[in-house]
Amino acid sequence: MKPGRSIWMLSASVRCYRMLLLSYPPAFREVFAQEMTQTFRDCSRQAIVEHGDQGLARLWSLTLYDLAATATAERVRTLMTSVKQLFGITSASSIAAEGSLLMFNLTIAQQTDIGRTRQSNEDSMLSFVPDDPRELSRKGALFVVSDGLGGHALGEVASEMAAQVTRDSYYQDADNDRAASLQRAIKQANSAIVTRAAQNEAWSGMGTTVVAAVLRDDTVYAANVGDSRVYIVRGNTIRQITEDHSWVAQQISAGNLTPEEARDHPKRNIIYRCLGEDKNVEVDLFTEQVQDGDLLVLCTDGLSGLVTDDELRATVQQYRPEESVQRLVERANENGGPDNITAIVVRVALEKEPAQI
Amino acid sequence: MKNSNREPESLLPLTPAVFHILLALADSERHGYGIMQEIAARTGGSVRMGPGTLYGSIKRMLADDLIEPSEERPDPALDDERRRYYRLTDRGRRVLTAEARRLEQVVHIAQSKHVLHKPGMIGGM
Repeated sequence: MKPGRSIWMLSASVRCYRMLLLSYPPAFREVFAQEMTQTFRDCSRQAIVEHGDQGLARLWSLTLYDLAATATAERVRTLMTSVKQLFGITSASSIAAEGSLLMFNLTIAQQTDIGRTRQSNEDSMLSFVPDDPRELSRKGALFVVSDGLGGHALGEVASEMAAQVTRDSYYQDADNDRAASLQRAIKQANSAIVTRAAQNEAWSGMGTTVVAAVLRDDTVYAANVGDSRVYIVRGNTIRQITEDHSWVAQQISAGNLTPEEARDHPKRNIIYRCLGEDKNVEVDLFTEQVQDGDLLVLCTDGLSGLVTDDELRATVQQYRPEESVQRLVERANENGGPDNITAIVVRVALEKEPAQI
Repeated sequence: MKNSNREPESLLPLTPAVFHILLALADSERHGYGIMQEIAARTGGSVRMGPGTLYGSIKRMLADDLIEPSEERPDPALDDERRRYYRLTDRGRRVLTAEARRLEQVVHIAQSKHVLHKPGMIGGM
């Protein structure tokens, strides 16, 4: 084959492949499209050099089959995650508190969205209600939201580690002091991320916020690092339970900024504490009593920065949790969606009836 | 790192793609294309993997903490900033050994049922 023609075929082949990569889910493409294109280019070059047109044709038949199978698999995986979230939405569960005969009925909905301008979703979220009633009465239900930092895959990995390690550590901890146990779990998540980031240069610079809430008996324990939040909505009031570790929050408490000024301040995204930065991290803890009809909202700043507290309250009061999370995400997107958006809404119904275990 | 708390045995059996990728990385760090070449060479071309299978597997192996990206560029001749090299983690090596042991047991069963000859009696493969 003439050199000119083989170069043309190589570049045409790679162009086609790059277009076909669009059949993979965006999050997968974000991380791997460039490497896959490069790998395919290498394969094409080798095929052309060794077997010319026929080699390239054989490569394409293998690749098309591979692409159809794996793109579908990745799509199905993404869909499965959504379906699981959907089940999270409709799963109501009862917590029978040991001895106190207090029943919880939780309606949980959660949603995460890439927003309008970001290339990838670095937020993670998790709702966990143990199937085992004894586990449920001992440790309660756990909700976690985290907002990864570091760009590309790093933020995604950090925020997912924050959620997963916090859950695993919390439920493995035999201590019945839930507040201490939750703080420890977040510190363990921090250690895991710091260790991972130190493993090699490619992982350095990963970090994440985290906010976690444990609901057990008539108490909610909320712990946080960074500027992801827990709100409690009761009647016509909304209150942020956690305190942000952000520059603007410091300025507000010092009286230098009003909350309204902070909302549009150019430094509103600066946080002074996150997971993944240092082996030792301070985790703040807040404890609240919950009442029948209370709503808990966990969210990242992609939501709280774009939707006012009042809108948030009105939305969760007016709609069921699954509709609330959709509306909140839509609202943040309508307001520009400059960041990833994540929200978990939990409606708490207390029933003072004999617990059925 | 979804599953890094789990025992290596809980990940077994591995899919053929994951097993071959781990084997390819057992003696050297490699980039994606390097992994494909190594697998093709070792299996005489009988195992061929497309980029989708390769990177779909790599994604899950990263999440399971079996492999990690490497900052080193062991192959300066082929160096390119778009190439990312991967290497086994300690956990990846443990899982690979566990899978190889499992397959070894399967081979023993095959031998005991005279499906396979014992080593030494094989007349070439």
